[in-house]
Amino acid sequence: MEHGLNAQAPSFNPPRHRKAKTLTQGFEQGVLALLPRLRRFSAGLTRNSADADDLCQMTIERALRNRGQWQEGSRLDSWIYRIMRNIWIDEARARTRRNQTFVDPDQGLAIGAGGGQEENVQLSDIDRALAKLPDEQREAVLLVMVEGYSYREAAEIVDCPVGTLNSRLVRGRDALLTLLGEAA
Amino acid sequence: MTISPERLAAYADGELHDQEAREVEAAIAGDPALKEQLDAHLALKARLFAHFAPIAEQPVPDRLRSAILPEQAKVVDISSARERRENKKQRWIWIAGPALAASLALVFLNFGTQTPDETHAGGALAQALDNQLAATQGAEAPVRILLSFRDANGRFCRGYASRSESGIACHETKGWRLEKRFGGAGQASTEYRQAGSNVADVLATAQEMARGPALDAAGEASAAARSWR
Repeated sequence: MEHGLNAQAPSFNPPRHRKAKTLTQGFEQGVLALLPRLRRFSAGLTRNSADADDLCQMTIERALRNRGQWQEGSRLDSWIYRIMRNIWIDEARARTRRNQTFVDPDQGLAIGAGGGQEENVQLSDIDRALAKLPDEQREAVLLVMVEGYSYREAAEIVDCPVGTLNSRLVRGRDALLTLLGEAA
Repeated sequence: MTISPERLAAYADGELHDQEAREVEAAIAGDPALKEQLDAHLALKARLFAHFAPIAEQPVPDRLRSAILPEQAKVVDISSARERRENKKQRWIWIAGPALAASLALVFLNFGTQTPDETHAGGALAQALDNQLAATQGAEAPVRILLSFRDANGRFCRGYASRSESGIACHETKGWRLEKRFGGAGQASTEYRQAGSNVADVLATAQEMARGPALDAAGEASAAARSWR
């Protein structure tokens, strides 16, 4: 202790020899700025916070890998939402196959949603109601009512005609209104 | 005229053009049942949005950030980004005061805020600025008042946001002068801007303009009662 107060603290941080890259990193910065929104959409799609960040990470990785396919000047957010949505569809399909193969049907609800009872208990009315929607209605509801996309933008993200998106949205919304009660 | 469920939903989502929107508004005015349906739509939307909003407010896990940024840049950019973020937060938290709590879970609608001239508020915006109180406004108010304060000249000013625009208006003899205007608050925004950053801009600018803290609920109510003079 006698070296105490006056001794110079050893530096745990190695000196920085290299300057930080100052190249224009528009793409990375763009993705970075989108992260909070991507996490929100991911949480809505997966309905499970652990899966949500995994989906986010897979989305980011694929977006970076395929950045050549993004056209500068076009909307980065729609492009990445679309990537996330497509990964999730593939995941969900694979998961359904796995569950159909391995899950004992008597175990019912506890499987697939992360397994834990606690999680199921903590699900809110909204989570439960959303879980009952078909995937295509849920994604339409999330894109328009939570993410704030126009019908046209949402239709582009899920790659369907605007009319189709519109009718999925109306059906999904009506189902939610019924499930959650008139007062919503 | 009859309004189909799809059309009403499209109205609730801000999808209709002015002319169509006016038609729906006229139909709603004469039909309480339709109004009830609209309210149910808006309430559902507000509830869904509020349910997911906290996720976008949480700090992003480092593993996601580092998936994007290469190691060296990460060290520099994350810490400075965090600093910027926290500064921004701290900068507006005190100014927003009690009014902010009511504005945290926002759903912004696209409503006519047409102005009589370029510099002053008109239409639904002027009405909201005159009458709406940040503390008591409904969740589905098309124009949301974010906060009210006095500027350096002693004028009452109010920060507002709707889906299509946001800004700060200050009260003068001619009405509400549009001092600062930012983009819409609820639209999925163009380029990289995060939806909601316009709201942060309004609040940060308000803080720069304000002479003191934002009005609390009582101060706001009494200013409104004196017609903001």
